[in-house]
Amino acid sequence: MYRIRFHGRGGQGMKTASRVLGTAFFQEAFQVQDAPRYGAERRGAPIFAYVRASRTAINERGVINHPDLVAIADDSLISAPAAGVLQGIGPRTVMLINSHESPETWQHRLNLDNTILIVPAEDAVTDRADLPFAGMVCAGAAARLVGVIGREALATAIREELHTHGSGLVDRNIETALHTYDLMQDHANAVTEGTEISAKSYASPQWIELPLENAGSAAPSIHAAATSTLLKTGLWRTMRPVIDYDHCSHCWWVCSTFCPDSAIRVNEEGVPEIDYDHCKGCLICVAKCPPHAIEAIPENAAKAREEKAHATKTPDR
Amino acid sequence: MAKTLIRRMKDLPSTHLFGSGTPMCAGCGGLESLHQIYEILGPRTVFVNAAGCMTLLAIYPFTPFRGSWLYTAMASAPAGAQGIRDALDILLAQQRIGADEDLNVVVLTGDGSANGMGLSATSAAMERGLDFLYICYDNEGYGNTGQQFSAATPHGARTATSTGPHGFGGNKKDLFSIWAAHKPAYVATAIGAEPVDLARKVETAKQLKGPRLIITLAPCPPGWDFDPRDAADIGKLAVKTGIWPLKEYIDGKVVHSKIPHPRLPVEEYLKTQGRFNHLFQPQRDEALLAEIQDSVDRYWDGIAV
Repeated sequence: MYRIRFHGRGGQGMKTASRVLGTAFFQEAFQVQDAPRYGAERRGAPIFAYVRASRTAINERGVINHPDLVAIADDSLISAPAAGVLQGIGPRTVMLINSHESPETWQHRLNLDNTILIVPAEDAVTDRADLPFAGMVCAGAAARLVGVIGREALATAIREELHTHGSGLVDRNIETALHTYDLMQDHANAVTEGTEISAKSYASPQWIELPLENAGSAAPSIHAAATSTLLKTGLWRTMRPVIDYDHCSHCWWVCSTFCPDSAIRVNEEGVPEIDYDHCKGCLICVAKCPPHAIEAIPENAAKAREEKAHATKTPDR
Repeated sequence: MAKTLIRRMKDLPSTHLFGSGTPMCAGCGGLESLHQIYEILGPRTVFVNAAGCMTLLAIYPFTPFRGSWLYTAMASAPAGAQGIRDALDILLAQQRIGADEDLNVVVLTGDGSANGMGLSATSAAMERGLDFLYICYDNEGYGNTGQQFSAATPHGARTATSTGPHGFGGNKKDLFSIWAAHKPAYVATAIGAEPVDLARKVETAKQLKGPRLIITLAPCPPGWDFDPRDAADIGKLAVKTGIWPLKEYIDGKVVHSKIPHPRLPVEEYLKTQGRFNHLFQPQRDEALLAEIQDSVDRYWDGIAV
């Protein structure tokens, strides 16, 4: 049985990628499960979707814990525990990452000897976070990696899944997926089927047994206000708004009012400050700033800039 | 008539009472209006939330609010508000809380609940003269489950369940008029992209007693299919093209708080959103565009300026 997990951010098309791959398997006479992880599906928020495909009946249910392939459309998710990208990775799990960095860098960083492949992209793509059709690229690559899906089955699956979006968009998706499929030629069959996991061999997690408590102490009343600030939604961001204070006209009420996330506050001098722990990167502030003093820069470039600034700071300053 | 203090952007509150870190989508037009509303209402507010996107705001133990929040089924938020109001009134009557400890009871629902399942409970609450504020964030579809059409979906829009060449065949329900027909204390339409207008309406509603209801149009990046950064600009276009009239029902009269002049062609608004793509591609659907423009024109023709 093939067990494949797609990780990405809401809006990158990873749910569609899993549907396309599932349908492509189905075209090749596999039995298939494909499902997105339901819950708070939000644009920018970490999401995952998964596919099981087998020549025989599939008795497994639920989330895939032992993936054969993990496709990751946004490499910033790997370091986010909440995204669960690394969950259940075994020695034979192949990782397919949309990243600026090399497989060796990732092997070193994650301390893994696994096969790590980088999603191919045109030279024109300077920011991986903006890779066009990221989901379709991952679906096309995954289809080639498993080695049991033909070009025709992949194209048919895309047509079937996207037909309501008009033929122009379907054609562009097919072109993207097949192009990636062909580029991954050298890695065909890199992903092999995992063994059946029998219910008999199921090892239960190391649960901690808790005695039943009364609801008053088990679910205590929260008297603190605005506890949502403990959730760092800044993790969702792929583009970062940066205020150029030389051009900021200190009309704080525009950016701070339009920001849906209360992530722009005004300090005592009347100067707006962006709270990067919570800014989701919607960039409404960039669109609304009257003197155009807010610039959007790719998150990884912003981080690199920060690190550089940090490194050049003298220690006693 | 109630007096408002907010006249221009500079008068808007400068602090955020509403917590960041909510799971709403980046660029959520509903959240953009809610945080502005909350800053006017203040922390002495209890929310009664029917199932919808904003159900996810306050998932235990996290909440962006500074007070309590009650979650109800989709059809029954105004009934939940009745229970809270009654409880507060009993506590006040028994002098177990002082007048300074009283709370604003606010219902918060999406358009699915407001126009559909929850309409009967809302009607009954108005009939009983319940002292509450109802805020509907209207993203014109069942956004939390993937944007299926609702009774508030506009004519011609594509939704997850209106995928044909002409989009949604029905018409957006006129919830403002339905609510106003009950003769409550206050009804208004607003939008987060017009913060001063919104703030003045919330201020007005806050000072009145009885049923008060506000619908805010909530541009929805995933549901309407546009780049999140355009949310506020699209909201402004909804007002400028006249497809989202800003108005109030107060003292038995309907008053428009902003009359677009000149009124832009409605396609300036429609073409910003993927849900209307089929009106422009592969070829322009002149008949449907004219039909939508005509319905906007007819609305404004009926307004005495």
